[in-house]
Amino acid sequence: MATLDHPELRESLNILLKNSRPRLERVLRNFEIPPEDAEDILQDAQLTLLYKWDKIRSPESWLIGTVKKKCIMYWRKRRGSLCEAVDTAILDLLAVPQAPDQEKAELTCDLNRVLARLSTRCRSLLKLRYGLGYGPTEVAEQMGYRTSSIRKVTNRCLAALTRQLLAVGFEVREPEGEPQDG
Amino acid sequence: MDKHPDSALLSKFGRGRLSRRRNREIVRHLLAQCERCRRMASRYLPPAHLRGAEPSSEARRFDYGAAFTQAWRETERRQTAFLAEQAAAPELLSALLAEPFERQWALATTDSRYHTWTVCERLLDAARELGFQDPARALDLSKLGVEIAARIDRAVCGETRVNDLCARAWAGLGNARRIRGDFREGEACFATAERLLKRGTGDPVEKANVLLLKSSLRGNQQRFREAFRLLDRVLAIGRKCGDPQLCGKALIIRGFFLGVADDPEGAIRHLAEGIRDVDPATDARLLVAAQHNLILFLAESGRYEEAMRLLESARPLYYRTGDQMSLLRLRWLEGKIGIALGQFAEAEELLRGVRKELIERELGFDAALLSLDLANIYARQGRGAEMRRLAEEMLPIFKSRDIHREAIAALLVFQKAAEMERVTLGLIREVSSYLKESRATAGTRTRELR
Repeated sequence: MATLDHPELRESLNILLKNSRPRLERVLRNFEIPPEDAEDILQDAQLTLLYKWDKIRSPESWLIGTVKKKCIMYWRKRRGSLCEAVDTAILDLLAVPQAPDQEKAELTCDLNRVLARLSTRCRSLLKLRYGLGYGPTEVAEQMGYRTSSIRKVTNRCLAALTRQLLAVGFEVREPEGEPQDG
Repeated sequence: MDKHPDSALLSKFGRGRLSRRRNREIVRHLLAQCERCRRMASRYLPPAHLRGAEPSSEARRFDYGAAFTQAWRETERRQTAFLAEQAAAPELLSALLAEPFERQWALATTDSRYHTWTVCERLLDAARELGFQDPARALDLSKLGVEIAARIDRAVCGETRVNDLCARAWAGLGNARRIRGDFREGEACFATAERLLKRGTGDPVEKANVLLLKSSLRGNQQRFREAFRLLDRVLAIGRKCGDPQLCGKALIIRGFFLGVADDPEGAIRHLAEGIRDVDPATDARLLVAAQHNLILFLAESGRYEEAMRLLESARPLYYRTGDQMSLLRLRWLEGKIGIALGQFAEAEELLRGVRKELIERELGFDAALLSLDLANIYARQGRGAEMRRLAEEMLPIFKSRDIHREAIAALLVFQKAAEMERVTLGLIREVSSYLKESRATAGTRTRELR
């Protein structure tokens, strides 16, 4: 795309943003992005479009595609933070040194109930992690995974655990198949 | 936690913004199967089956009005500053380009007026334009581009956007190094570019452009399978983003490497298809290069008449782009076709002129390859003395640059044969194709001349 004159750029950008708004709204709604977080997504995509205006040949397609991608990234990040929060909390709960036996037993029972709903592989992996306090390398060794792929596998199992933990009132799908090494 | 956490607390939990203690309390509460809180917290999970699904009833009620207004307000505010930056860029760039390299370096690294997005972007464009015309200058400008990109204010332009531009600058530097034949350093530049891209906006077009340049490096290294894989990814991105120019570029590069990989029919097909996608108004230079290669492969397939017809129709485009290097290559091509048509005297004169200019531009490798076209004429005409002189002249060209030993060895074989007056057309073809392949790195060095 040829470089536009300044008034022309302003005008073109304004028209584009106005015309693409209905499609962008549809994207945000389909991805169920909370309105309070939509501003960041829109602003970031629009600013990138402004800076790269000269290099983008189909600005509307680019903008819609970019917002879609940002919506996917938004949920990926959100899921990541949530899984991390759940994981850290469970590790912390299990590590409390002087918890009364009764409390510990209840915690183990509750945790096992959630783990029981996971696939065998995820259950085994998380039992090693939470029950025996294994680190990622030890889990990989024990379960026959490569060290390079254990993080990915663990994350998938943590996502499954988090879904189970928050699952209520509707059917929750098990993680797709067994985690595959590599 | 005996009491239920309120929705604000659950919202913070869902976003991973709580203290560890609070997190612990909520997770313990959820583990105890509090249905009410689990239901509330479940909205912080990604909605099931995002793609193609109808939004939930809650999402249908979302009002995005404020989000659009605020986002637009911020974009407009930045737009004003960005347009001022764009207005100042041409003058700054002219002043910079007028200076000798040492001064350019000093300005690029210390003068904050140059540390803007637009100056950097235009400098990178200038470096790319110069790529084949003046590879040494293109390399210098690419280095300046990398320095400037690294100094752009990330707080103003945004961390991820600046990472994109830095990636573009490093890929440009890698490409400039490739053109100069410095594949190893080019490789390192692309590795840096890809690292930066990962920390960038995720813009697929930016990624595609880096992949395009990298595919050229892979092709020059004779790693065609990898080059084609990269080009497939570029094609997929181009189609997804509705960018025919990107698709055209990928097809043209693929066509070129198919030709180098001894598949002239595949090359002709891809080049012709790619040429249809490229807009001549926006990328005339690419179009010239594509037409040039198409003519070359037509000629090499023995389709001389088609090649000549296309050359005549493309000639105005060569002159319109005004690129000295393209014109030089046009003359080289005319010389090659002249040899094939038996017009040896005209071809020799053309090729001698081109060779002289290639040497002046320090393009030793191309000069050596062209010398083999001249050798072709001498072999056909049985001009042993000229052949010997040509062979003697070729070696210093090679030694003047960092060309690896195997390529020099190939030329020594040629020189020896010339001394003994035993150069055949077959040997010329062998040495020529070996020299092309020997641009590759260690992977291809094991091949021996037959």
